[in-house]
Amino acid sequence: MKWYDRITSIDRRIIYMLLTVLVILPFFVNVNIPQKIMPQTQRLFDFIESVPPNDKAVMISFDYSPQTMPECHPMAQALLKHCFARGIPVIGLSFDPEAPGLALDALTRVVHEFDSLAAGKDDSLIYGVNYVYLGWKSGRIAAQLDMGESISGVYPRDYFGNLIETLPLMQKVNNYKNIAIVVILASADYPIDWIRYPQTRYGVKVGAGLTAVMAPQYYPFVQTGQVSGLMSGMKGAAEYETLVLEHGYARTLGTAETGMNSQSMIHILIMAFIILGNVGYFFSRRGKRKGTHE
Amino acid sequence: MICAFLLLSVLPPTKIAAVDKPNDAGSVIYLNWVLSPDDASIEGYAILRKGPGDTTYARIGSTVHGVTTFEDEGVQDGIEYQYIVAAIKNGGLFYSKPSTTASSYPQIFHSGRINVLVSIFIFTALVAYFVVSARTGRDLFIRKIAGLAAVDEAVGRATEMGRPILYVPGLGDIDWTATIASMNILGEVAKKIALYDSALIVPNRWSVTYIVAKEVVKEAFISEGSPEKFKEDYVRYLTEAQFGFAAAVNGIMMREKPATNFFIGRFWAESLIMAETGAQAGSFQIAGTDSVLQLPFFVTACDYTLMGEELYAASAYLSREPILLGSLKAQDYGKLIVLIILLGFTIISFFGINLLGALRVQ
Amino acid sequence: MKRKLPLAICFIMGISMMVQFFIPHPVSLEFSSVIYKWIIVLMAFALVLAIGNLIRHHTTKIRRKSIDWQYSIVTLAGMVAMAIIGLTWGVDPDSLYQTIYLNVMAPLGGTMFALLAYYMASAAYRAFRARSLEATLLLASAFIVMIGFMPFGQYIHPRFPAFAEWVMKVPNMASQRGILLGVAFGSIATALKIILGIERSWLGGKE
Repeated sequence: MKWYDRITSIDRRIIYMLLTVLVILPFFVNVNIPQKIMPQTQRLFDFIESVPPNDKAVMISFDYSPQTMPECHPMAQALLKHCFARGIPVIGLSFDPEAPGLALDALTRVVHEFDSLAAGKDDSLIYGVNYVYLGWKSGRIAAQLDMGESISGVYPRDYFGNLIETLPLMQKVNNYKNIAIVVILASADYPIDWIRYPQTRYGVKVGAGLTAVMAPQYYPFVQTGQVSGLMSGMKGAAEYETLVLEHGYARTLGTAETGMNSQSMIHILIMAFIILGNVGYFFSRRGKRKGTHE
Repeated sequence: MICAFLLLSVLPPTKIAAVDKPNDAGSVIYLNWVLSPDDASIEGYAILRKGPGDTTYARIGSTVHGVTTFEDEGVQDGIEYQYIVAAIKNGGLFYSKPSTTASSYPQIFHSGRINVLVSIFIFTALVAYFVVSARTGRDLFIRKIAGLAAVDEAVGRATEMGRPILYVPGLGDIDWTATIASMNILGEVAKKIALYDSALIVPNRWSVTYIVAKEVVKEAFISEGSPEKFKEDYVRYLTEAQFGFAAAVNGIMMREKPATNFFIGRFWAESLIMAETGAQAGSFQIAGTDSVLQLPFFVTACDYTLMGEELYAASAYLSREPILLGSLKAQDYGKLIVLIILLGFTIISFFGINLLGALRVQ
Repeated sequence: MKRKLPLAICFIMGISMMVQFFIPHPVSLEFSSVIYKWIIVLMAFALVLAIGNLIRHHTTKIRRKSIDWQYSIVTLAGMVAMAIIGLTWGVDPDSLYQTIYLNVMAPLGGTMFALLAYYMASAAYRAFRARSLEATLLLASAFIVMIGFMPFGQYIHPRFPAFAEWVMKVPNMASQRGILLGVAFGSIATALKIILGIERSWLGGKE
């Protein structure tokens, strides 16, 4: 077998083994490459920066599943840290049935981190005052449209069974007029429904945090201003974490930054194998033309 | 003293206009005004309102400086109100002249959406025209779509090899357009399978899609005069979990080794997992999806890929039904109209005329 | 009647909601609000249908002892166990339900998604060949975007990330917009056909 045939027929298991090693390597070898902040991530950050504290709330739609947790969970935590540090109230909800567990986890972690640094009760985050989690609701588009008239009409109770009217935050927030922006953290096509329906009808601002595969689909909407900002995949999460850290809203970077090192390694590996495959392909074709192919 | 007073005083805003807010459910009056000449030095504007029973103006809200509009929500329909806008500086208010009276009322028709109404009428008219044309026997041309021309070959291959055909109708529920298109194609493919006497496997993610797919396949076998060839096991309900479904389909591919795989419908990240497994198993693969982001993966791993609208065209292409052909032509003409409008607006914009507002949906 | 009634409901409600979109009057808004609430309730019942279907499918597999019927027992047991745990001890952040979700469900789901990396590497190696001009362009843009979006892409050339951004925002967006426009028209046409009763595949087969 000629060398160019060998390099085009490498056993898949070798590829898989190399991939595994390179994913794990950055966890033992500390490499820290600074992130260049993409404009769309900066736009989302700047938008949240422009929301006055204790005024309108930020609505976060947690719509990702455990499969995309590595990409979307760091986004959720970075966004929550940003909002809480700026005194912006947060209303969470979900339309993906697999999401509530992860939404609760993100909220719990960030609230716990803030409360552990709080000097007193005034500095801590109080459920019902600083944040509310409404839970999962069926009939996604219908619910999104109906919230334009009244959020309590769609969610008479929150995730924990509390009546909405008993929560101080929800007494101030009736519908989208009291919402500064809805940020959808999703691994599926949920943001497009927010743009098509509530935004068209009620003018609510929409932001998104999406997996890297889905994000390019929303670049046209970022360009037209229909999406006010976008976090794209683990890189977007790492960028937002960096921005939150640089502005003093967090004390450490999150998990996305570490994950980016593994991702970069894999990109290099894939590029190397593509080059190998193409080199073998070209020489193999040349060999066939010369009639020297076995 | 007079100089000090003049230095401290501020000119108020002018031309306060109060009108009923258009295209709403009522209870909102829309105010606008011309900025105070001293706008840069003031803190903002206070909005004051007087109703019919009021003797004085009451403050109802405020804005920051530089803002020239305000919406007074929560007024009663049919009641006349009057407004004053005052510039705020150092705690003092500098009042404008009162506005004319205004009252709010709900509108019956949203005039800001007339562009949508016109578009619906035009498009419906196009669909009706072409469906009627197709029904009268007029030949409507559809260009050759390579992936669809290969369907016969794909089904024949499975019959020769004695192996089943796997048809994955996507991971979208029945309310996705791509799933509906997939069901139409499934019907046509099932008819060919009934003729060729092959086996079929149709895994489903959603229970409603499963029921629809079962009816479609059964109907196809009945229409070909072979109801006895239909087996209950042809159409399967797997799981709603995205990657659980992908894993189950992979398992079917590795165990049952289908000769041909169809991936037709709405897909997400699991597309490459299934397509690559099929490629490794040596199956002939035809994919079709309107999920733009999954197209590169299908193009890489499959023999033929139907892109975007070709998926919707597929059912018309295979069945040659007048209704489907007619609506396909209407879509093409609709796109042509949009293209002309976009090009026209772009050319006009070079002359400084911006008509984009006409396309905006309020 | 079995087909005529759903078609009639579809037509009436489709036209009503289309008309409602153009009427901002409070009566119209109240009507739409009621309809949305009904949709939320109906979608919740669709879940009941899904659960019923799942139970029926797997109990049939167990009864007939079909291939891999043992996994059906695991599926049903898992479903019942999580339901009992959630209903009995609640779904609070520190509940057993949440613990199982985060320590079993989440890693399992993550594992399945992680397989994508292996399949992508294998597909890229096997199929990304510069066989034609289009394939070469595809490869070149894939390389540019991959390098540009990596953190060290900026160290290869300071303008590399900006160039990768341009590839995503200009040629990529232009082609996506073209496909999206066609897909949008397809969706509108299908929706019109469903409302008008021309498209009936959602009822299962043709008349």
